[in-house]
Amino acid sequence: MQVTSPVREPLVLRRIHEEKGKPTTYHDVTNDICRQVEAAPNIRWIIGMAISLIVLGWGSYTLYRTWFFGIGEWGLNKTVGWAWDITNFVWWVGIGHAGTLISAILLLFRQKWRTSINRAAEAMTIFAVLCAGTFILMHMGRPWLAYWALPLPNTYGSLWVNFNSPLVWDVFAISTYLTVSLVFWYIGLIPDLATIRERAKNPVARFIYGLLSFGWDGSAKTWARYEMVALVLAGLSTPLVLSVHTIVSFDFATSVIPGWHTTIFPPYFVAGAIFSGFAMVLTLMLVTRYVFKLEPYITLGHIESMNKIILLTGSIVGIAYMTEFFIAWYSGVPYERYAFINRMFGPYWWAYWSMMTCNVISPQFFWFRAMRRNIYVTFALSIVVNIGMWFERFVIIVTSLHRDYIPSSWTMFWPTYVDVGDYLFTFGFFFTAFLLFAKFLPVVNMAEVKAVLKSSNEDSAKHYIEEVPAKEEVVNSSLSSEKTEER
Amino acid sequence: MAEGPKLTIADEKMQFEFTPRLRRKIFTTLAFGLVLLLAGIGLEAAGVFAGGHGAEEHALLGGGGDAHGHYHWTKRLWANLWLCCVYFTGIALAGVFFVSVNYVAWAGWSALIKRVPEAFGGFLPITFVLMLILFFVAGHDLFHWTHEGITDPKHPNYDAIIASKAAYLNVPFFLGRTIVYFGLWYLLFAYFRKLSKKEDQVSDYRAYLENPTTYNRRVYFSAVFLVVFAVTTSMAAWDWVMSIDTHWFSTMFGWYNFASWFVAGMATITLAVIYLKESGYLKLVNQHHLHDLGKFMFAFSIFWTYIWFSQFLLIYYAHIPEETFYWEPRLFGHYREVFFLNLFVNFTFPFLALMTKESKRTTIFLKIAAIAILIGHYLDFYMMIMPGTVGDNAGFFLLEFGTLSIFIAVFIFMVARGLAQLPLIPKNDPYLKESIYFTQF
Amino acid sequence: MAHSKEPKKFLVGIFDDEDVLIPAVKKLRASGVKIHEVYTPYPVHDLDVYLGYKRSRLSKAAFIFGATGTLLAILMQSFMLGFSWPMNIGGKDHLAYPDFVPVTFELTVLLAALGMVATFLISNNLGPGKQALMFDPRSTDDKFVMAIELEKNHQFTQMQIEELLLQHGVSEKPKEKEV
Repeated sequence: MQVTSPVREPLVLRRIHEEKGKPTTYHDVTNDICRQVEAAPNIRWIIGMAISLIVLGWGSYTLYRTWFFGIGEWGLNKTVGWAWDITNFVWWVGIGHAGTLISAILLLFRQKWRTSINRAAEAMTIFAVLCAGTFILMHMGRPWLAYWALPLPNTYGSLWVNFNSPLVWDVFAISTYLTVSLVFWYIGLIPDLATIRERAKNPVARFIYGLLSFGWDGSAKTWARYEMVALVLAGLSTPLVLSVHTIVSFDFATSVIPGWHTTIFPPYFVAGAIFSGFAMVLTLMLVTRYVFKLEPYITLGHIESMNKIILLTGSIVGIAYMTEFFIAWYSGVPYERYAFINRMFGPYWWAYWSMMTCNVISPQFFWFRAMRRNIYVTFALSIVVNIGMWFERFVIIVTSLHRDYIPSSWTMFWPTYVDVGDYLFTFGFFFTAFLLFAKFLPVVNMAEVKAVLKSSNEDSAKHYIEEVPAKEEVVNSSLSSEKTEER
Repeated sequence: MAEGPKLTIADEKMQFEFTPRLRRKIFTTLAFGLVLLLAGIGLEAAGVFAGGHGAEEHALLGGGGDAHGHYHWTKRLWANLWLCCVYFTGIALAGVFFVSVNYVAWAGWSALIKRVPEAFGGFLPITFVLMLILFFVAGHDLFHWTHEGITDPKHPNYDAIIASKAAYLNVPFFLGRTIVYFGLWYLLFAYFRKLSKKEDQVSDYRAYLENPTTYNRRVYFSAVFLVVFAVTTSMAAWDWVMSIDTHWFSTMFGWYNFASWFVAGMATITLAVIYLKESGYLKLVNQHHLHDLGKFMFAFSIFWTYIWFSQFLLIYYAHIPEETFYWEPRLFGHYREVFFLNLFVNFTFPFLALMTKESKRTTIFLKIAAIAILIGHYLDFYMMIMPGTVGDNAGFFLLEFGTLSIFIAVFIFMVARGLAQLPLIPKNDPYLKESIYFTQF
Repeated sequence: MAHSKEPKKFLVGIFDDEDVLIPAVKKLRASGVKIHEVYTPYPVHDLDVYLGYKRSRLSKAAFIFGATGTLLAILMQSFMLGFSWPMNIGGKDHLAYPDFVPVTFELTVLLAALGMVATFLISNNLGPGKQALMFDPRSTDDKFVMAIELEKNHQFTQMQIEELLLQHGVSEKPKEKEV
């Protein structure tokens, strides 16, 4: 028996668009989520797709220039040999942390509000990680030799890869993360694909969804194992999520460059990643919620919970900035001290202050409940946060490099239009992929929403107070059932 | 799921009694600890261990030894007391932190046991007083930067690096900070206890929720506490622990100390809950709740390892002398065995012992793991504090054991006293029923 | 579920609510009815326990796969950098074990996850192109479908089982299905 405290907000509301006043049923959930998969694409979707494809097309042109003419097309120079591309790489990887965090860590912490956002967040994760990978391939210059990053025997053209290098750790971390996220996401999709298969009237759709749903029948035995798989995958993914951005931070922190070499980087990068990932989930979900009329499933309560996580991680990031700043002073190392003063008041001061404003100050609005529950504020801030997180990476990477140990090599970095175009390429790809996902796959995990529907719909709070008498607390005892309750 | 005998809230003993039997046990432990401590002091003063180790190693250690490189046996006593103060303050604080996190995160499962960690905060005044006294008595033995003339360029003790930190590391500011930390923690803790008392005064949870100020305030101030906690624990770790090795610095250090404190706090909560359950309290707490406590210990042992390893790897990898000297005595010197033991007890052992579902539900496994974790994190702080204070003269014998026994006895005394002040079961907690009916996935 | 050539006769009971289903499962099993399987639109908490299924050993499989990954990763890195082609990198030992931790961790997780999921798919006969055996298509939408194989319940007549199902709250008249 599941008991839900009356303090909790219901996770599923009554439907506002049709049949006002009736409690939402399992069948309503199926109908509402399957609707856009089964119906023809609506005009807003087509417009969105057209814009994404145009952006992708322009990006493809600059990507062609990058590969055909080489990375000299970018604004890099001898002093700043890493700038725009790595900033974007880290930014996308960071965004790619929310999905698996929602489905893994929030599962372990039994945060049931994750049920209606985990599907889309995971899809977003996968696309974001692909975008991040694109920047690695772009920077390679010769993408056809990308397999050299794998540990292949020396006769394949290179030596063994250097396992002491954080860049090699990255190869393993990101590919593992992509694979496991993909598997986690797909395992979660299978039951819903079976639902669509059973509803499909068009034989082609029935065949395709039948193929994709792996012959799922929803038997109790399969479900039990499925839950076990989800739980173990969550347990594995939790340290995995932490490890990925940790290893990305190692790219910088293992070096001896002032501003890069600092031990707080791993957990602080992870916090920043979750921060930007949740912001991106909010940006996408607020639009999806509106276009697909998902208000009963993605409630203000969900948005509030996500905003709380944004407030938490934003504040962690803020504390980390200040810790770095303080310890740079405390260390007494002149180079460290200079690096941080230069960030604040050097030629890139505007990037630093944009970062501080967007990342540390803007989420503080979410201390107020009214702000957390305001859709417009949330949408605006979710974009502001991602701008801030982009600047964070830019600040870390570029300001630390552009002031070299030899003042004669001090210089600035400015992006070229090819840099910008390559960035747009990933945007085009990201939104194209997300729109395709939103059209052809269920954006909300129907099975999981149904699992919480009974204990947490708009009418169950009353149910708690009226039907479970306060004094009748009856449970299975622990002491004597400890042995009998072996599962 | 087999049906066990039905239990109702009426079967629950609502009030914890601080029995004379428990009191006797605590005082026996205390007396035992005192005897050991005195014996240890006797041995040290008689110079039994003094012969073996030289004092030359201090050239290596930034803050090790005092400015003249002398080692006096009292150092070992002060360092031990300081170590226990830091460690037990962290555990006490972790209890209050745990309850606050549960409030902010709307956790339901923990409502039944929330009064247990909440009572931990009652220990804070003890270490507060003791730390102030210690700082006055033994500041020079513990903190290299308190030495006279160390910031004065003309003085023979002058140290340019420490002088550049003097704006932060100076006696008045240090004391002020410590007072502010304890003041904020204790104020918030006392306020939480007051709200808990208020919570029990209404007739039932409906009345509690109809007049929501108490509950809302609890959630709101829990969030405030989290902010205070985040800032102050980091700073406290710099002040109390990192500044012992005055030249050394690590941005991770505050979070690293937090991880160590929190996992030790979870182990203490688990032990306290199991003890209460075995003494006939908390009957409604079942293996599902224990499972969650076990999960917390398991997960945060891994988290601690993650933080520990990240800090170690970055210093090892970059190989900058300003940082690596910190690991010299720990990894290659006197502390080599403790270094590896620390990793084993804090990571490998809890990882393997708490991995299965069954072990997280079996009290004996939980007890063994919790005790191992507590010993492990004592070692962790030992590793942080000893090399910079007593250098190669550190050991673990009567002195250390006696100090630990005394602290354990006093900690249990204060927590038991706190538990007896309020009902053990928060009967009006809006999540209580969730907690009673709670099952794992 | 292996399909034998000869069709088997099942009785299919349909429930609307998990809180009706679970007592029904308990009581049917208590009265000796062998339930073939229950199909639900979402994972019903502890339903497998009430049906008497053993706890899945998938987590053990994951542990074994993970341990294999750990071992392989350590061996691979030690062999490549320690023996096959030792290189001096940053003055560190050829076998700089702290540096091997990240890759070892990743491969542990990768193998554990992929191995466990593959085991899950194979042991549940799931995969592209597999056909599902659906007693009622609504079990993926909003109904809880209980299938009882008549041959395995010789001690009861079909009528008796139908009777029992009706007593315990099926929402529709139980129907017969041959598979």
